[in-house]
Amino acid sequence: MSGNLAKAWTIARRDLRGRFVGLRLLIICLFLGVATLATIGSLTVSITDELANRGQSILGGDIEVSIAQREASSEELDALRSEGEMSETIRMQAMARLPDRSETQLVELKGVDALYPLYGELLLDSGEAAQKPGPNDIFVTPALMQRLTLKTGDTINFGETSFTIAGVISDEPDRLSEGLSLGPVAITSLEGLRATQLIQPGSLFESKYRVKLPTEVDPTELADRLGEEFKNQAWEIDTRNNGAPGTRRFIERMGQFLTLVGLASLVIAGIGVGNGVASYLRGKQNAIATLKILGADSAMIFRIYMMQIFAIAIIAIVAGLFVGAFIPYLILQFAGDVLPIRPDFAIYPLPLFVSAAYGLLIAVIFALPPLARAKLIPAAGLFRGEGNSWRSIDRSTWVAVLLSIAGIIVLALSSTNEPTFTLAFIGSALGILILLTLLGTLIRWLASKAPRPNQPLLRLALTNLHRPGAQTGQLVVALGLGLTLFATLAAIQTSLNNEIRNTVPTEAPSFFVLDIPVERADEFTSRVNAEAGKADVNIVPTLRGVITEYGGQIVSELEEIPEGAWVLRGDRGLTYSPTVPEGSEVTSGEWWAADYDGPPVVSMDEEVADVLGLKVGDSLTVSLLGVEIKSTIASLRAVNWRNFGFNYVLVFPPNVLADTPHNVAATIQVDEAMEDGLLGILPSEFPSISMVKVKEITSQVSTILNQMAAAIASAASIAIFSGIAVLIGAIAASRQSRIYDSVILKLLGATRTQILSAQAIEYAVLALLLSAVALALGLFAGWFVITQIFEFNWQPDWGVVLLTLGIGAIVTLGIGLVGSIPVLSAKPARALREL
Amino acid sequence: MTQSTAATSDTAQSNSHIAIQAQNVTLSLGEGDARVDILKGIDLSIDAGNTVALLGPSGSGKSSLMAILSGLERATSGTVNIAGADFGKMNEDELAVARRGRVGIVLQAFHLLPTMTAHENVAVPLELDGSSDPFSIAAEELSAVGLGDRLGHYPTQLSGGEQQRVAIARAMASRPSIIFADEPTGNLDGATGEIIIELLFERQKATQATLLMITHDPELAKRCDRIIELRDGLIERDSAA
Repeated sequence: MSGNLAKAWTIARRDLRGRFVGLRLLIICLFLGVATLATIGSLTVSITDELANRGQSILGGDIEVSIAQREASSEELDALRSEGEMSETIRMQAMARLPDRSETQLVELKGVDALYPLYGELLLDSGEAAQKPGPNDIFVTPALMQRLTLKTGDTINFGETSFTIAGVISDEPDRLSEGLSLGPVAITSLEGLRATQLIQPGSLFESKYRVKLPTEVDPTELADRLGEEFKNQAWEIDTRNNGAPGTRRFIERMGQFLTLVGLASLVIAGIGVGNGVASYLRGKQNAIATLKILGADSAMIFRIYMMQIFAIAIIAIVAGLFVGAFIPYLILQFAGDVLPIRPDFAIYPLPLFVSAAYGLLIAVIFALPPLARAKLIPAAGLFRGEGNSWRSIDRSTWVAVLLSIAGIIVLALSSTNEPTFTLAFIGSALGILILLTLLGTLIRWLASKAPRPNQPLLRLALTNLHRPGAQTGQLVVALGLGLTLFATLAAIQTSLNNEIRNTVPTEAPSFFVLDIPVERADEFTSRVNAEAGKADVNIVPTLRGVITEYGGQIVSELEEIPEGAWVLRGDRGLTYSPTVPEGSEVTSGEWWAADYDGPPVVSMDEEVADVLGLKVGDSLTVSLLGVEIKSTIASLRAVNWRNFGFNYVLVFPPNVLADTPHNVAATIQVDEAMEDGLLGILPSEFPSISMVKVKEITSQVSTILNQMAAAIASAASIAIFSGIAVLIGAIAASRQSRIYDSVILKLLGATRTQILSAQAIEYAVLALLLSAVALALGLFAGWFVITQIFEFNWQPDWGVVLLTLGIGAIVTLGIGLVGSIPVLSAKPARALREL
Repeated sequence: MTQSTAATSDTAQSNSHIAIQAQNVTLSLGEGDARVDILKGIDLSIDAGNTVALLGPSGSGKSSLMAILSGLERATSGTVNIAGADFGKMNEDELAVARRGRVGIVLQAFHLLPTMTAHENVAVPLELDGSSDPFSIAAEELSAVGLGDRLGHYPTQLSGGEQQRVAIARAMASRPSIIFADEPTGNLDGATGEIIIELLFERQKATQATLLMITHDPELAKRCDRIIELRDGLIERDSAA
């Protein structure tokens, strides 16, 4: 066996000398696909690794305990202090006001103690580390300076206190672990924060206690022990190994999605691989037949050409890995603030290995079938020109192909945290590929059955679509998938942007207002109406708590949070209501009477209940302000999350929560002209409130969506490039026959313009067909995502979608015409001798 | 058309002296209305060491008969025995293996492997046959055909005559017992063709191989021990030269 391999390799090397026509397509397609996957994988791992490596400074400690809406008790503080050096911070939303009350700004206000930060440094724009702020000192971010036109030394007010700006923050070491911020950041001392009087029973704030542990202490073990000891206290515990879980989850999820998009692009590249290999082997027919004459059997032929093709494939894959390993460094240099963190350059073997594995599997899937056919070229092929005869593929080749497909699926599933989504994506991509393949076959069939035009050039254009060897089917798949991806992205992105631009202003309130003291709720409503005239004010009680048990399952005993069970992470908004809240509809169980006074019950969102496997009658325990409340699920609700109001997963009857210290929140809908007035007056008259202007939030969301869309489009663009490579390969493969046609037409009197016109018609028909297919599939996919998954209105920007497809069609036509130029210049006499 | 018997003059000759034997060989291609009967029943027996010319007009089935006898094609029916191997029962791969060391083929269009040197082209059948020293033997064969100084040349660097000499060396390298030559001078000018024919006969004599050659040249045919004429898929005449 090894002797046969050695023989095959010797002959393979010799035979590979000279031209690589056909193999160039293999090289380009594999290189593009593997480089894309390697780039995405390396970038994702570099960011998540950096998050893990800088865990201490990102978290602000080795272990962090977060508590919502209260500070730690003395017992809790003692327990934490006994483990190591402990730092306390309190974070909340608050309204910054200029002393003359001319302007206000929603801010994330943070109070820190003398030990903050335990790791890293709070850096100011002067380059120095900030000193512990005095009780009236405050450090702010440049965004706040800009919005309120401030400078160092100026005064701003929060609640009952005035602060002097002592410096501008350039780097807050634990910024990432604080999560999403609705406004700029301001940092003062804990004493200063308490002096604002904004921390009241029921206020929405978060206390964090970070501990610096001795090196021998394992933070994970400590977290488990403390979690067990204080399991009823609604603690949220993180360790330095997971310093910014929300950011990490987002990066991982985005990385996985981009990998799937990159994988779909690699499949397109695989079509190019298959075409390239088939074209290459067609050119080797005589050599194969000659080798058979000389005594090579089909197994030897297979070995020889398999070694050639996979040697080239490995070179392409290695080149792709090289690029994929280094491009993330360039992306990090140019990405600016788009990425949450900027790691140093490093090589990450695992994503490179996975990308190489994908590349090899794709090479096997698409290169084996033409190889299997080529080995069956008979020796008599030299005499009979049997190059285009169909040969069926043997079973062992099918088995290898199917195993490779399974390998890709297994690899994709093993490297994702969301297997259901991954399977759905792979299934959809395969479905689209199959659909495009059938469409390609249909187009060829229709072309063959279409009435023959009288005009010979038109006739030639039409017959070229279905002549033997025509690559119409492969082009429909290769270019079709890329164009479909782009059409889908354009439809989704423009529909989402229009939703934000058109629907939000008409349906969303002008403001969300938090932390209105419950005893001043009526006063608040009256003030708004007095100031704004016609205003729609909706008030709801708002508390925050943590789910600690559901259906008998203690949350702290879970190995990991089940897929889709986001409600179990961190604290949740809670409310109470005597009646079914607006935007909800009871779908199971019974709503309580308005004066219900029985044991604790709760109404739950039906989708969340489904994820947790809960039904009416099951138990649910929440912990708020250190007290556990065990309830029975009385009803399930369908919640309209799109109505821009306050929607809650959990709603209790008044008797359960009304006596718990809490504030109320409100939505205010006013004419746009009244907004600034309210923003100027309400925070000063109600110092504890935070007013969120919806327009600012939607602007931020829109920016983030556009950035995500750009990233997805970049990954999907590889599909387009691969499709173009397939198109170029198809043009090259058909060059001989096109030259022959061109020469005969010239003999018969056709001009070059006429011949080029025939080519133009053919490619124009192909481009139009591809665009029509991509439009139909892309719109359906976009509609499904927008209406069935996001449950938004379907309102794509038709101009953008059609422009996207139009550009794709023009590129297809352009490449086809450029590829036709050499055909036109073939000299008849010489060509007839050589063909 | 008549069908002559394919038996050699001496019917008592033992089978071990018979290099090529075909019995009632037919070849048909296509099906139904498109079916073409190329060979309609060939009976043929050729002694080892003989030189045989195969003549006939275009379409008579000469190349098809040679393809079947050399194992490049499978007969539709009949038996084919080549140097003791029953070619009629073999599949494509078995025929390829059977050709090693048994059959050498020289074709009109040379069919050298374009990415290999002359030396490598001649070495290929030896390597496939598992020869322990293919390149030495190949060098000897090339020297025998007068190309000892062109070992490193690629086909594009050789003239037509030189390419055909390489093809002859390649065909002879593994000392086959039978050489098939399909119009070996068809792509060559008269003078070069003469050289090639001389070389072919010289190598045949040196190795005592059986030579079956397709040619349109009656004068060349006369140089062979035996002439077989085909017409319309049947042997019309079979006589000693």
